[in-house]
Amino acid sequence: MILITVMFYLMAAIALGSALYVAASKNLVRSVFMFFVTLFALAGLYVLCLADFVAITQVVVYVGGILVLILFAFMLSGRELLSGLQQQTNRLIAINKLPALMLAVLFFIVLVNIFLKANIDNASWISQSIAQKNVITVTDVTVNGIGVNLMTNYLLPFEAISILLLMALVGAAHLSRKEGEAA
Amino acid sequence: MNSYVLNIVVAVGLFAFAAAFALFGVYAERKLSAFIQDRLGPTETGKFGSLQTLADILKMLQKELITPAAADKILFALAPMIIFISVYLGFAALPWAPEVVPSKINIGLYYVFAIVSIETLGILMAGWGSNNKYSILGAMRSAAQIISYEIPAGFAIIAVVMISQTLDLQQISLQQGVLSAEKVKFLGLWDVTHTGGLLSWNVFKAPHLIIAFVIYFIASLAESNRAPFDIPEAESELVAGFHTEYTGVRFALVFLAEYSMMFMVSMVAVVLFLGAWNTPLPNIGTVKLADWTTGIFWGILWTLIKSLALVGVQMWIRWTLPRLRVDQLMNLCWKVLTPLGFLCMIISGLWRLWVM
Repeated sequence: MILITVMFYLMAAIALGSALYVAASKNLVRSVFMFFVTLFALAGLYVLCLADFVAITQVVVYVGGILVLILFAFMLSGRELLSGLQQQTNRLIAINKLPALMLAVLFFIVLVNIFLKANIDNASWISQSIAQKNVITVTDVTVNGIGVNLMTNYLLPFEAISILLLMALVGAAHLSRKEGEAA
Repeated sequence: MNSYVLNIVVAVGLFAFAAAFALFGVYAERKLSAFIQDRLGPTETGKFGSLQTLADILKMLQKELITPAAADKILFALAPMIIFISVYLGFAALPWAPEVVPSKINIGLYYVFAIVSIETLGILMAGWGSNNKYSILGAMRSAAQIISYEIPAGFAIIAVVMISQTLDLQQISLQQGVLSAEKVKFLGLWDVTHTGGLLSWNVFKAPHLIIAFVIYFIASLAESNRAPFDIPEAESELVAGFHTEYTGVRFALVFLAEYSMMFMVSMVAVVLFLGAWNTPLPNIGTVKLADWTTGIFWGILWTLIKSLALVGVQMWIRWTLPRLRVDQLMNLCWKVLTPLGFLCMIISGLWRLWVM
């Protein structure tokens, strides 16, 4: 048990530290690579929550897909643009930072509120699940449950998302066509 | 406490295996290419040049680590490690024999598929960090190629998973031999549950899985940046692609990663399609060849033989076929392999419903 606690704090610290670096660093490409560390630490936290499928999906989708696409965009745009971004004057207190600051503070208040109201140690639904033995143990296979639920209870959202993705694909294919060929 | 020590021993053992395999693999590749091109290959160092790669690695370890002046020094230094570690982590879930698997996780296949995609990130890091046009072109080609070929590879894998109904690599292995708990049918017709051997391997369970195997094999060549898909390091155009600027140990790590990747994708192919640690010899009447040749020692031996054979085919292909152009590469992936893979997946679903 002690090892799990140590692992949790270690991963949480890595996730927080790297996320701070991502936000604070002026070097955009390094930020993106650091974001990879954040996502990996998050995947580790998911594993500690026994959500192994979510953890690996996180690695596949974010690390293997989204991060690589972001890097592609950087590499296609070239170094000059990036160095231009780095030389922006950046004062700590400025009027153009007000919206971001407000958003951050409001979100922080919401989070603190949730944390205070959740009362996670004696929530009724958790104790109820434990009483009904409706819990996941370390050796359980979660994939089957996810598959069955996706194809029964959550079929409509699943199909809606797939249609949305198909629309995005068709749109991207249309945009990237050459002018002359477009009918 | 004992289990922690065992975990560390297993991890170190896998690393030692990867390193030893890379040494052996480079030597084998040089000898094989020499045979194919009617040359002699290394002959000077040791008997038949067998100590050549050992001498090479000694030389490489002593070399100076050169970092280009305009490079992003941290990214440049970290990239080879990330490339190697991502491949090395994949070994954690691959089964070697009945009951012998470094980490028994019930979504092992998905894990391997995920962890390998991190290699792309390391390659992009190397390309960007080097601050060199050739490197960045090589890195982008590599990333585009790996991302594209993950799709047909994924479809081929899903075709197998739909038949075997599990993501646990050890379960998939078990279903392909005499130890199987369920019924195994050769091509869906002939019950070979107690015959085992070659006949119960996944490739022969259904005819479309042979196509799926070929798709996976082609895609795995592309994912490990091997010829005919080696445009990321096309020597004639890009010097050496993403690892142009690397010297010494860092270059050695990139090389180690390439060879470990070759072995790993071959081992995944063996587990998914070629019966994993199961013996190729069937039971014939009272001659219980399959029962006799199944066990921990035999399992490791079969896994090694089959994986090395596939690695041999990879080398054979590399020294036989010319490199594909970028557009040919993408055409092959999106217009041939992806539709075929999709078809295999659909047939798998129908097969599971109506034949099995």
